[in-house]
Amino acid sequence: MRFNYKKMISPLSILALWEIIGRFIWIDPFFFPPPTAMLRELYAMTITGEVFPHIGISIVRALSGYILAAFAGLTLGLLVAWSRVVENIADPLIELVRPISTFALVPVMFVWFGIGNGSKIAIIFKACFFPIVLNTIAGIKGVDKKLIQAAKSLGAEGMQLWIKVLIPAALPMIITGLRISTAMSMLAIVGVEMIAADSGIGFLVIDAQRTFATARMFAGIIVISLLGFTFDRIARFVENRILVWHTETSLSGRMT
Amino acid sequence: MYFIDAENVKKVYAEGRQKHTVAIEDFTLQVAEKEFVSIVGQSGCGKSTFLLMVAGLEQITEGRLTIDGQPVNGPDPLRSIVFQEYLLFPWKTVRGNIEFGLELNKIPKKERSNISSEYIRLVGLTGFENRYPHELSGGMKQRVAIARALVNKPKVILLDEPFGSLDALTREGLQTELLRIWLEAKCTVLFVTHSISEAIYLSDKVAIMRKRPGKIKEMITIDLPRPRTRDVFISPEFREYERYLKELVWEDL
Repeated sequence: MRFNYKKMISPLSILALWEIIGRFIWIDPFFFPPPTAMLRELYAMTITGEVFPHIGISIVRALSGYILAAFAGLTLGLLVAWSRVVENIADPLIELVRPISTFALVPVMFVWFGIGNGSKIAIIFKACFFPIVLNTIAGIKGVDKKLIQAAKSLGAEGMQLWIKVLIPAALPMIITGLRISTAMSMLAIVGVEMIAADSGIGFLVIDAQRTFATARMFAGIIVISLLGFTFDRIARFVENRILVWHTETSLSGRMT
Repeated sequence: MYFIDAENVKKVYAEGRQKHTVAIEDFTLQVAEKEFVSIVGQSGCGKSTFLLMVAGLEQITEGRLTIDGQPVNGPDPLRSIVFQEYLLFPWKTVRGNIEFGLELNKIPKKERSNISSEYIRLVGLTGFENRYPHELSGGMKQRVAIARALVNKPKVILLDEPFGSLDALTREGLQTELLRIWLEAKCTVLFVTHSISEAIYLSDKVAIMRKRPGKIKEMITIDLPRPRTRDVFISPEFREYERYLKELVWEDL
């Protein structure tokens, strides 16, 4: 993953244009606070340290929900792929709950888990669970039948077939599900914190909007963007580390 | 008593509730121990199906199929199969792939590595032990697949068009290699191919299949001296075998 300076041109140009519009053309800075004002705000938040507890609690919530979803999703996914009975029970439920918008369930989660961290973690769980479970099922079921035959003819059967062949063969798909879900967790945490929370990065943004501090609002959005970017990069790094052998996701990220 | 003994074997695939496809019927084939036998036939004649049944990966519907006097009952590492598509484990290195059978048997790491080194040398892959399959050419992948099948010291090795997707030169090279490996490994070989000349060059006996339903039409003994070099291809005897077998195959076209 080499840093490509050319890719900095377009975002920097937009910021420069925005700055010019905000400063030299008469536009109410309330709507378009110039980037320098956002950065000043961001700097102030960092210096006073007030932004860090918000980032911290958001990460804790997102990570808790994500980890729970990863365990549950992997377990259920493997069970569904393993047993026809489990599949017949779980599949219709998965297909019915999956299309429900995560945020449609916010009121339900408040009723069930209260207004504290529990309901937020539950929402993250809902957002992350389905990509993981579905990719795990698709990964295992998509293993080449002939690869399984080859493994069986070499003596693999039962648990050994699962641990030494099916799961490693499905790993690229499973990891993709886990990576998609890191992005889902970031999307969901910001949303749910905007709906009801008194802390977290989503709360910081909505609170700034409610108090008409638009520069601060944008500063919060920059933090969200950086957080999401960082999460994605970490996920990709881990993915490439685990799947060195996998041709489509070789270290450089290019198709080989 | 033949080593591989198939008598009146029938295989029917059910397609839905009513439709059935008879893949092979009345299939009789006998192979002696340590013999190299090729099965030649058109696509879809059921030759691969028979191989899968010997491997224990498909069940026979009717008839009798015994290996070394024992009826085939599921897969067994003593009957290894090698496919045209290599089917290596992409997450394992060359060495890891070859050691797979040993790993399943919980052979200690040190011993595993000694055994795999021996087979890496046998198939000529010394220096490539730590490569992953996607870093190898088709011919090298098939060498790995052959070594992986041999590591359990099988009594029978089943090759399902193993050189079918290789270019002509690689294919010729591997044919000669396979003869050398077979002489060292001392096992029975069942070899499925489309290529009549390949079958003659390699085999003690060549069985010609006809299709729908698939059965052995004729089996002829290739009486060419061993060890064979590639010069055999231009000998009059070879030409005569080739002409005769081609006629047999063409009769059904």
